[in-house]
Amino acid sequence: MDTQELYVTADLAHIQLTEEEVSRLALQVDQMVAYFSKMSEFDVSGLEPTTHMQVSRSRVRADERRDIPGAHPDILLDAAEELEDRFIVIPNVL
Amino acid sequence: MLTFWKNVLENSPDAYEKAVRARDARIGAFLEFNPKRHLGNAAHKAASAEKHAVLAGLPFGVKDNIAVDGFRLSCGSRILEKFTSPYHATAVQRLMDVGAVPVGKTNLDEFGMGSSTDNSALGNTTNPWNEDHVVGGSSGGSAAAVAAGLVPFALGSDTGGSVRQPASFCGVYGLKPTYGTVSRFGLVAYASSLDVIGALSADLDVLQAVYEVMSGADAFDQTSIDVQSLGSRDAEAGGAASLGYRGKSPCLGVLKPDQLELSAEVSETYYACLEGFRSLGYEVKEISLSMLEYVAPVYYTIATAEASANLARYNGVRYGLRPDYAENPDELVRLSRDQGFGPEVKLRILLGTYVLRSGFQDQYYLRAQKIRTAIRQDFEAGFGEVDMILTPTFPRQAFKHGGEDMSPFEQKQADKFTASANLAGIPALNFPAGVLKGLPVGMQLLAPAFGEPRLLAAARDYATLYQPELAPGYERPAGEQ
Repeated sequence: MDTQELYVTADLAHIQLTEEEVSRLALQVDQMVAYFSKMSEFDVSGLEPTTHMQVSRSRVRADERRDIPGAHPDILLDAAEELEDRFIVIPNVL
Repeated sequence: MLTFWKNVLENSPDAYEKAVRARDARIGAFLEFNPKRHLGNAAHKAASAEKHAVLAGLPFGVKDNIAVDGFRLSCGSRILEKFTSPYHATAVQRLMDVGAVPVGKTNLDEFGMGSSTDNSALGNTTNPWNEDHVVGGSSGGSAAAVAAGLVPFALGSDTGGSVRQPASFCGVYGLKPTYGTVSRFGLVAYASSLDVIGALSADLDVLQAVYEVMSGADAFDQTSIDVQSLGSRDAEAGGAASLGYRGKSPCLGVLKPDQLELSAEVSETYYACLEGFRSLGYEVKEISLSMLEYVAPVYYTIATAEASANLARYNGVRYGLRPDYAENPDELVRLSRDQGFGPEVKLRILLGTYVLRSGFQDQYYLRAQKIRTAIRQDFEAGFGEVDMILTPTFPRQAFKHGGEDMSPFEQKQADKFTASANLAGIPALNFPAGVLKGLPVGMQLLAPAFGEPRLLAAARDYATLYQPELAPGYERPAGEQ
């Protein structure tokens, strides 16, 4: 993978890379992608993809309110770094 | 020893806390430790269910990617360093309902990504057997806490071997249950089609009870399965037939020697272990898992792809670390992730993003999912011939800190024995099989889905030949007079 590809991928992943990181990660990413290419040796024709184990169908429940432990809005808001009334304050970004 | 553990929190919580802190100053197993925090919140011993009375009163450690109300939930990452969980994971709640008490949060490789626990951004954990060596990972803090006698059991999570590999490095039992048998409500997601909560202990009765209490359907986890009806204690009483063995004695599958590639110490222990099972009346049969060579590439393709999606939620907006200043919302997200994630997490997010990019999906992610089907079929064919499969847990013993004798890339390739169980969704157990050159060696038993009872039964059988040794200097539990 060339450096340009790495920057495109990092951009998609919302990760900002320093130059030092780019030179180190480029080698490691390359090594792993080359390792993944071993999969191309194997003939996959006729095989269905496995996405999950032991899940045969979606499970449904009654469409009604239920209390999830700890999921009360006030408790969740408390986890935010900074609050103003019931609004989450984020750094000034404009 | 169990009598001590059952009473220690009630009788001498202060002495226990002091003893654990003194020991843990050398080991670094816990990121947070507060044995009194939930002492009054667990079900009272007398009120706890008789069936699982063995757990009542026991302190336990929880890997810091599993939620415990009022404790931090850092995942070993700077991005969640100050985040406190507002609720209990279902697995933790169920253990508290039978009287067990969560006493602290254990160190891990950041977000579960690693084989050493050296990838934690928040603390250093070292092997109680030898401080120059890593504890394994990613549930390394949990393994160290058990091996150093800080707790009688601890919870971990296992995505590609993260319960079993540190258990093998520390000489304790480590169970990765069948995918879906333990609710993941409250487990921070890494790779959702592979993740499962497991347990580590030096005591098989405790391990079995923990597994039985944690397992079962949970309305808060769509993938959880009702397995209560399997009742392994009853199965044990019913003997071989109820455990599902095809013959009178269990048949163990073993791999061809050229598939193993082991260090001298692990190889020696493996063949001694095989002889041990033979002497116990087990039948041993060679099988071929032809897909084994594809396990690590398939595992890392799927795990990184799913991780890149699961970790997209850490954007510095609603919670977690964030910069003081950003030019625009996009930069806020990028800076938060740049400052919050460590190198291994960034590597895996980049890999996962790459294999999911348009144009590459068929070549990597989809192909990996198809080969996963072939791996699953490989195991199905294997379990058509044998009751369980015996492999080493890891090709070598605990390596040294800093990767000087095993590079991070070699560590990933070595996950093939453990990650195969995650790809196939089947249960697997690490059991201690010996100590060579001052470090433990662990072996792994694999069974078909829901075969936990036979794994535990086989480990019990093996314990009649080899009783796990405790780390030197830690033979007595912390705080025992």
